[in-house]
Amino acid sequence: MTGIDTELYPKAESRHSQQSGAFKKAKRALLDERVSGLTGAFLALFILGHLILESSILVSAQLYEDVAYFMEHTVPMAQPLIFLVTIVFFVHFVWAGRKIPGKLRDRKKMLELGKKLKASRKGWQQDPNSDIHLRKHFETTLWIWQVRTAMIVLATGAFHLFLVMWNIFTDMGVDGQTVGLTADVATSRVESGLWILYAVLMISVVAHMAIGVYRLIVKWFADTWFVRNYAKALYYFLFWFYTILGTATVIAMAGPLEGILS
Amino acid sequence: MARTLTFKIFRYNPTKENDEPHIDTFELEETPRLNLFTALHRIREKQAPDLMFDFVCRAGICGSCAMMINGRPTLACRTLTSDLADTIELYPLPFFKLLGDLSVDTGVWFHDMAKRVESWIHTGKVFDPNVEEERMDNAVANKIYESERCIECGCCVAACATAQVYPDFLGAAGLNRIGRFLFDPRDHRGEQEWFELVSTDIGVFGCIGMMACDDVCPKDLPLLEVFSYIRRKMNSGVKVAVKELDLA
Repeated sequence: MTGIDTELYPKAESRHSQQSGAFKKAKRALLDERVSGLTGAFLALFILGHLILESSILVSAQLYEDVAYFMEHTVPMAQPLIFLVTIVFFVHFVWAGRKIPGKLRDRKKMLELGKKLKASRKGWQQDPNSDIHLRKHFETTLWIWQVRTAMIVLATGAFHLFLVMWNIFTDMGVDGQTVGLTADVATSRVESGLWILYAVLMISVVAHMAIGVYRLIVKWFADTWFVRNYAKALYYFLFWFYTILGTATVIAMAGPLEGILS
Repeated sequence: MARTLTFKIFRYNPTKENDEPHIDTFELEETPRLNLFTALHRIREKQAPDLMFDFVCRAGICGSCAMMINGRPTLACRTLTSDLADTIELYPLPFFKLLGDLSVDTGVWFHDMAKRVESWIHTGKVFDPNVEEERMDNAVANKIYESERCIECGCCVAACATAQVYPDFLGAAGLNRIGRFLFDPRDHRGEQEWFELVSTDIGVFGCIGMMACDDVCPKDLPLLEVFSYIRRKMNSGVKVAVKELDLA
């Protein structure tokens, strides 16, 4: 013990040891937090890259195939990556999901409070000369949206991962020659009616990722130069940039707009 | 043109028999620079003599007048009615024990929190009046001061969705208190002691980062900065803690 008068605090000395339940519990809590944060950060980085590469189809189908060929054959990283991402995807679900209250009643309590705080701006008509600086609050509802999108991503993302894993190792080339991803394969997936699923997955994953990045930075780095306002700006940027990019990509893959509407 | 304000106030007296929670409506002429402290007193004087609410300092220092004002937990004494819509809804703070109407008991929770955090300087040093006092770095002193400015109003805990669901959670006020003693070089608690207290799901890792505490804190405490500091301290402190235990 470091300088603690154990006569005044008799409990202080006896209760600490590496084997003590409290210490083990604390180590476990730290591990849980690291796992949920790091898997989230990994998946966010993955999605940032994935959507950019996917959007190469907006430039040309040839570029898209070049990128796919490079990642599958020149540097064969797509195949191991899909396994890694799948594993991390489920690990992240279990570890990050531990914070979602199990009881519906508790979730409703959180939702109600979040809604109240968000709506409170309607009851406040802030005078610009007021002494009190009132900040708008919507991050509680944002977290609830993160939980909602998490459920959507869990369902649609798992399906997508399975489909991609299947595609990557089987001969799905439309010409019957290629193994792996081509523009045709990707387009046929989206075109054949899966565009609804891909649009929902894309928007959900982008929202989930942007909110997650915002919260992760605030939780770990708010006392550095990366203050909350920067994190919030990053959240807006990530959400809108990737939503627009992703929407354009899904539309491009789904074929011309008339095709979607008919 | 003066407005007529409509107050919708939550009423419930748990000590009165057959009293049911309900909303009472009062009307009041707005006067210049009217704040809720004065407004509630006027209502109590003229309209509802049994209306319960807490006020002590009327200057944003004592922290007893926190309530939900139009859906937002904040201090009533610092709230001017000119900042509010024509209809003003007042509810007691959630989470804390209701004493009646707008009055809640924050004291029991804060007392319990202070005991759990062991909110005092832990040192074995005996005070020697003949020795010149030790100096403290100004930056450190400022950090301690910033955390120390907490007035224990309870707004942060009332706005925390996590606290509503996990009542054991130390909340923003508790974590801020921990930060205050972590910053303090006079506190001789070892890393492992902190680690066991803070690196838990009722400590800093219970926080899921919804940031409502930071948005509603009437004293603008740098709460998120303190939490980040604690988090990283726990992240890097585990090694030191293990070492300390091995030496012990």
